[in-house]
Amino acid sequence: MDATTTRPVKLNTPVLAPKAPRSSLWMDTGKYLLRNRSAVIGMILISLLIVIALFASVIATHDPLLPMIGQPGHTGRLPARAPCIHLLGCPAAEPEHYLGLDLNARDIFSRLVYGTRVSLVVGFTAVVFSIVSGTLLGMIAGYAGAWIDNLIMRLMDVLLAFPSLLLAIVIVTILGSGLQNALLAIAIVTIPVYARLARAQVLMVKELDYVTATKSLGASSGRILFFHIFPNSLTPLIVQGTLGIGTAVLDAAALSFIGLGAQPPIAEWGAMLSEARSYVFTAPHMVFFPGLAIMLTVLGFNLLGDGLRDALDPRLNRI
Amino acid sequence: MGLFILRRLLLAIPVIFGIILITFLLQRLIPGDPCRAVLGERATDEICDAFFARMGLNEPLPVQFLLYTGNILRGDFGDSLRYGRAISDLMAERLPVTIELGLIAMVFAIVFGVPLGIISAYYRNSAVDVGTMVGANIGVSMPVFWLGLMLAYIFSVALKDTIFVLPPSGRLPAGYEVIPFFVSWGIAPDVNSASAGLIFLSRLNFLNAALTLNLDLFFTALRYMILPAVAVGTIPLAIIARMTRSSVLETLGQDYVRTARSKGLAEIFVVMNHAVRNALLPVVTVIGLNFSLLISGAVLTETIFGLTGVGRTLVDGITTRDYNLVQGFTILIAVGFVMINLAVDILYGYLDPRIRMR
Repeated sequence: MDATTTRPVKLNTPVLAPKAPRSSLWMDTGKYLLRNRSAVIGMILISLLIVIALFASVIATHDPLLPMIGQPGHTGRLPARAPCIHLLGCPAAEPEHYLGLDLNARDIFSRLVYGTRVSLVVGFTAVVFSIVSGTLLGMIAGYAGAWIDNLIMRLMDVLLAFPSLLLAIVIVTILGSGLQNALLAIAIVTIPVYARLARAQVLMVKELDYVTATKSLGASSGRILFFHIFPNSLTPLIVQGTLGIGTAVLDAAALSFIGLGAQPPIAEWGAMLSEARSYVFTAPHMVFFPGLAIMLTVLGFNLLGDGLRDALDPRLNRI
Repeated sequence: MGLFILRRLLLAIPVIFGIILITFLLQRLIPGDPCRAVLGERATDEICDAFFARMGLNEPLPVQFLLYTGNILRGDFGDSLRYGRAISDLMAERLPVTIELGLIAMVFAIVFGVPLGIISAYYRNSAVDVGTMVGANIGVSMPVFWLGLMLAYIFSVALKDTIFVLPPSGRLPAGYEVIPFFVSWGIAPDVNSASAGLIFLSRLNFLNAALTLNLDLFFTALRYMILPAVAVGTIPLAIIARMTRSSVLETLGQDYVRTARSKGLAEIFVVMNHAVRNALLPVVTVIGLNFSLLISGAVLTETIFGLTGVGRTLVDGITTRDYNLVQGFTILIAVGFVMINLAVDILYGYLDPRIRMR
């Protein structure tokens, strides 16, 4: 007889698995972004810019288009006057202009503040336009294959064969100078980037089992493309789009700098630099601040884009 | 390898064809009457008829395109309206400036970017690494024309009375006489009797200085080229440093690097011959891609630094609505860009045999 005593085991005790915390790709990404110092700096910069753009009329101290000549308290030679901040020792009798005046005696600080609106609108709109058209073209190319794919992608190759700024210049030359046309040109030159990305994603996703399953259930091509393939191809497009906003802001400023973008008297950073460039040796403040504004904006989007790329990269399995 | 090069060359042909097509359409798409756009609003109907006949604009579009392509293949880009000279002559005169600027900017970017990337990767998370990466992020975000203007201000106004003062514009001091190498070698007595190729080469100041052993010309030209080259080269430098860093970081973690260390090899040997050597392939690609930035940089900075190169001519052509000039120089830049990409592709195939197999 077996002398060992065994403890009775309750067979029907439910095994309680520890409850997994709710998690999704976007929640994980958000958590990672908040831990990434560069991405946080990027987000702070972008948030600041958005606040400045939204509340430009409150933040700006003067009308951005109004020359100070003849305004109360403004005497002497006004164009290109250096910054005057009372706290930093500027005589109280002199009117305060944080970043000085430009060639037309307009307040540079207010012009910069309003310029934020222009730059952000141009950046966002150009990128949204090129993401929508590029993704559409890329998805059609990748999904349809055969000659449609060849036709679309070879056209994209030709567009990519131009240095992007040169192509933008050519397009604005055809369409005519102006901020809207510059925006359109910037959007067109970046279409190939998104088309290639979207096509590669579609080629990868369309072979997956869930797409085959949807197809066998009788879903139409359009439904498969937009409801099943598109949402699963979004990640690289979002990363590229964030980086793309920075590039668009930079390109818009460049086009305005060579006189093809924003036209006077619009307060646009590139145009402000262009107006001031001949005076860099005598009034460097007119050149310094608009350039700094462009740099900080582009830096913000670059830092956030890099952070997003790291956060969404499945190879860096750090979450 | 021969087959690989041939395949790449053949692939470039449709792209160049596409470029010519787009620039052909450029002049046809510009709204308004091409005759009055070129000759001015006051051109009479008779003059315009003659203009259309001379330019072949009465022919159907496909025929026009063939004529246009034929002319370009023969090197005939038409005349510039502003300068009243053949555009091909202007190209030969101005291309050397841009080539010099681009090459010096690229040398600057590589010479500083690659070592900075290697040091950052090796001393990961150190002050050097953090500093380099912060600098690289700022460098990538800067508008090149702003950097150019600020450099011009700092080095020619703020540092005026120091040894760091640099000239803010031009290629050489006014009145500086350059003796072309073909004259000092006795190939041709003067510029007028020299061939176009020789003149083109002699306009490359550094080449001319090397061929005539003229150190003064070399250093004078270098002093004038420093600011534009730093302005144009800073963004590529930042990108190259970042790419080198991440590429070296990847190879430093590889098993063969550990093996090399465990064999007792000197650390510098492990880093340079095992890690860096294998890390340079993606860097070469990035360097190739950066030529696009150099071209954009040249377009935006030549005007600032008073350099009469391809970029400045293009911008001038746009502001004066000299469409022939814009067309010609657009083709020149785009085809040059395709050629550079082709060279990088071939170099890449040479460095990595796996690419040739595809």
